[in-house]
Amino acid sequence: MPSSLRLRAVTALAASGCALLLLAGCAAEPTAVTDAAGESAGTHDVEHARGTTAVPDEPQRVVTLEPLELDTAVAVGIEPVGAAVASNVAGAPAYLGADDVEPVGTVPEPDLEAIAALEPDLILGTEARHSELYEQLSAIAPTVFIETQADPWRDNAMLIGEALGREAEVADLLSAVDDRCESLAGEYAIDGESVQLIRPRDETTLSLYGPVSFSGSLLECAGFTIPAQEWADGLQADISPENIVSAAADHVFVTVTDVDEASEIPTAITQNAADFPSVTPVDTSYWVSGVGPKGAQAVLDDIEAYLEESR
Amino acid sequence: MTTLTPVETSGAPHARIPRRGRRAVVGAIVLLAALAAAVVLSLAIGANPLSPEAVWTTLRGAGTTEMDYIVLELRIPRTVTGIVAGAALGVAGALIQAFTRNPLADPGILGVNAGAALAVALGVSLLGLRDVSQFVWFAFFGALIVTVAVYLIGSAGRGSADPLRLTLAGVALGAVLSGITTGISLSDPEAFDSMRSWNAGTLLGRGFDIIIPVLPFVAVGVALAVLLGPGLNAIGLGEDVARAQGANVAGIRVGVIIAVTLLAGAATALAGPISFIGLMVPHVIRWTFGVDQRVILPLSAVLAPVILLLADVLGRVIIAPAEVPVGIVAAFVGAPVLIALARRRQVSAL
Repeated sequence: MPSSLRLRAVTALAASGCALLLLAGCAAEPTAVTDAAGESAGTHDVEHARGTTAVPDEPQRVVTLEPLELDTAVAVGIEPVGAAVASNVAGAPAYLGADDVEPVGTVPEPDLEAIAALEPDLILGTEARHSELYEQLSAIAPTVFIETQADPWRDNAMLIGEALGREAEVADLLSAVDDRCESLAGEYAIDGESVQLIRPRDETTLSLYGPVSFSGSLLECAGFTIPAQEWADGLQADISPENIVSAAADHVFVTVTDVDEASEIPTAITQNAADFPSVTPVDTSYWVSGVGPKGAQAVLDDIEAYLEESR
Repeated sequence: MTTLTPVETSGAPHARIPRRGRRAVVGAIVLLAALAAAVVLSLAIGANPLSPEAVWTTLRGAGTTEMDYIVLELRIPRTVTGIVAGAALGVAGALIQAFTRNPLADPGILGVNAGAALAVALGVSLLGLRDVSQFVWFAFFGALIVTVAVYLIGSAGRGSADPLRLTLAGVALGAVLSGITTGISLSDPEAFDSMRSWNAGTLLGRGFDIIIPVLPFVAVGVALAVLLGPGLNAIGLGEDVARAQGANVAGIRVGVIIAVTLLAGAATALAGPISFIGLMVPHVIRWTFGVDQRVILPLSAVLAPVILLLADVLGRVIIAPAEVPVGIVAAFVGAPVLIALARRRQVSAL
């Protein structure tokens, strides 16, 4: 593994070097054009996980390596030219409606060659995931890293807004999420009713999401209460199917890849129906992976539809 | 293997067989008792700390829905899976070690696990399989196809397939296929989340609808192994000696490959690629009962499920309320045994 990593790093370095040469070669002619367009567009400094970087005020060709960065960029109207995605097969998640985003590898393993080929002017990544790629990414374009995807997503979104030169818009989007949450809580008044968000991992493990997790926090701010578990950092708790009844709640949401596929609800839940009076399948692609202002609105859409239906 | 060997062995066993035979019978009784104890533990202990009384009540049919689910829907099927997959792994390991005369041979050496994993990966990525019950036949046929390929590669050219060439072909093909599997799974990590615990090896989530169709393959494999026992004893003395004694060496080889494929394929299809059990168990039996395949094969079939079930029970309690897949626990338990094995002055002869 270490040797293959090193090999990959070397090839990636070589690739980005080549891409740089290409860039330099191409840059000579179209300078006049970009200058005209970019005359008003200066740069501003952003302080981030890897120091301070000067980034364009009006980035045109953004590449994102973290789902939150993709979501936030799309939410403020800057559709990235490329994004590292959860699955090369599926590409950018459908809930974003961003069909022109080119997949550039997976979130844990971005493809430097593909990123360089897109000639980005801003790259957004995550220190906790892409630390060792920073130098190579910086050689391609100004690169801003959030610290870790485990930090509160709102703080991370604000930094991304700053990097994109859209701080005010991101702040507005975040308060829109909070306002909508509050109005749901007020309108449906479900205070105190318990909720559980369950993600079936495989046959041995079910993950329960806690109040600090992305969707867990949205469920709680809409008025539900998540019963106490032995959370790891309040984020999630893993249980064996033998302990499924400890996840019993008034309202249960189960994350699945296809909400119309009933067989995706684990037998642990269907076999103990008496403990699970209300089970609703929800889409993993935004309930779990759709961290960001757009994903939050999509989750709140589902919560509102559910509350409306069960009123 | 000198020409003297047959004289020694054909003389000595006459004196030793009665004592060895008694020892093997006592061993079989002890191991069967251990298996019964392992089954009891597997039913009584789990990630949910039900009391033994509660388990007993449930077994008599008076449990609550939750207890019924835990004991009847989870613990009983996983225990049966452990017995079937364990027996298959034990016998496959004993066969492959006797066949290759390599004490470190493992049922996966013929590419069985790599083939099964690739077939499952293809099923997940191309056909969108998500449920473990859909993996079974993919795994089985993947194992089957790859072993046939290994056999064809190993027997290409002059002469019949000798164990060394088969091993090389199996390791080489296995490495290539594992590389492809890794490539497929890296491109779609989310989909492969569902393959994660299959990849580690687990006994959970296999109902009788999966176990029963696999059972005949294991039964045929075990029966074949028992028939091959005397022939493997002859081969253990050296192939020339075996031929001189009238053993059908080529026939025994084909028989072993068929039996190993059926057994390891069935075990992998049922529980995923579990390593170490098939490697470790035949050794323990050889240390204790000596080198006679007629004893090693059946006793491995009993000891392997004991170890597998105990490893599974351990995996259920160490990080409760969650669980560790049995394949990971088996590796943890198996590694120290392997080290002890390497430190012994003389690896138990084959």
